[in-house]
Amino acid sequence: MTDELDSLDPNVRWIVTEARRPVPADAAARDRLIDAINAEPVPSRGLRLVTWLLQPRRLVLPPLATAALAAGLVGVGVLGGIAINRDGRPAAVQLPAAAAGQTQLPDSLAPRAVKFVLIAPQATNVSLVGDFNGWDSGASPMKATDGTWTVFVSLQPGLHTYSFVVDGRHFVSDPTAPIAPGDGFGHRSSVVLVRQPSL
Amino acid sequence: MCGASLSWSGAPSPELLVVQRYVTSQARRWVIDNETSDAAYVQQVLNGNSDAFTRLVDRYYERCARFAVRMLGDRDDAEDALQQTFLRAYRSLGRYQEQDRFSAWLYRILVNQCRSAAAQRGRRERVFVREETALLNAADRRQGWSGEDEELVQRILAELDPLLREAFVLKYVEELSYEEMSAATGVGVSALKMRVKRACDRLRARWEHIKDD
Repeated sequence: MTDELDSLDPNVRWIVTEARRPVPADAAARDRLIDAINAEPVPSRGLRLVTWLLQPRRLVLPPLATAALAAGLVGVGVLGGIAINRDGRPAAVQLPAAAAGQTQLPDSLAPRAVKFVLIAPQATNVSLVGDFNGWDSGASPMKATDGTWTVFVSLQPGLHTYSFVVDGRHFVSDPTAPIAPGDGFGHRSSVVLVRQPSL
Repeated sequence: MCGASLSWSGAPSPELLVVQRYVTSQARRWVIDNETSDAAYVQQVLNGNSDAFTRLVDRYYERCARFAVRMLGDRDDAEDALQQTFLRAYRSLGRYQEQDRFSAWLYRILVNQCRSAAAQRGRRERVFVREETALLNAADRRQGWSGEDEELVQRILAELDPLLREAFVLKYVEELSYEEMSAATGVGVSALKMRVKRACDRLRARWEHIKDD
């Protein structure tokens, strides 16, 4: 954490240092809290298992895993349909393309080189930030040729959010790319879809 | 020989023995408190010992108070959020899962409570007036702080978007890892990194703006 602090702008580091100062404890407030807790019934774990079984859970799958799962379910459905086929057709039929595609999944996961371009003749330095480099403005500096800034980045197939940082302070979205939804911070990010080689 | 001097006559005085005993007992309690895991205290509460929760309150009250004040900027609102946080944690202790870190679980409740408090406050939310002069003075005073400095820091933080402020405070003030922040906020690590970076950029730009004026 000390290293992280050292890497901060001195003014920001100063704010952090001051914000870390403890807030003077209000003993009366703490006592009121303890009184309120003591007035509560002691929590029990009698319903813990039931609660655990009933509580909703969120399953988050990345797009590729979702596609693979969907392909797998299609395959299961087709095989199931074949297994219960009653009209006498032979069971040996070709698998659908979606199921066959699963064998290519490892190859399709290979990263691909993506070229990012920003035309900014007035800029003195431009870097690329995104979810693939931890939004680190030092990770992917761009090179300029006659005001056109470019950089190649190796990206996994899938959706990626990115932005350009001009002169170390201005976030600039890619004018040629879709805008990422749900940003809401005044800065706009762009979206790039890196397709799988097999698609 | 002039001036005061300390002398050691050999055997400690009764008063010193009392002090030593007190210090030792406090130190022992501190060690025990810090050696006892959060999960063990939770277990004690669930076994019927509600006093064990007081230990958890004492362990986390100060940190949670700091976060609530930095987020809400108002001590009364922060105290309300703290009360609700610990009460909700106490009532929900039966649903606490041991594989989760208690601190992360508590932060999750606290973050939600602060968000709710800010939302309920709505238009009542205190708008911190941008007093350029005061901030300018602060920039010149960085070497020596006065009692007004906390208010100035609160003002600067309050100018941030709440979500940026939340990420910034969790990262640099509460010193949580991005994984812990993600567990507390329900936001992905990548988005949190973006928010922290933008918060830093905004704060830096704010100071540069002040210097330019």
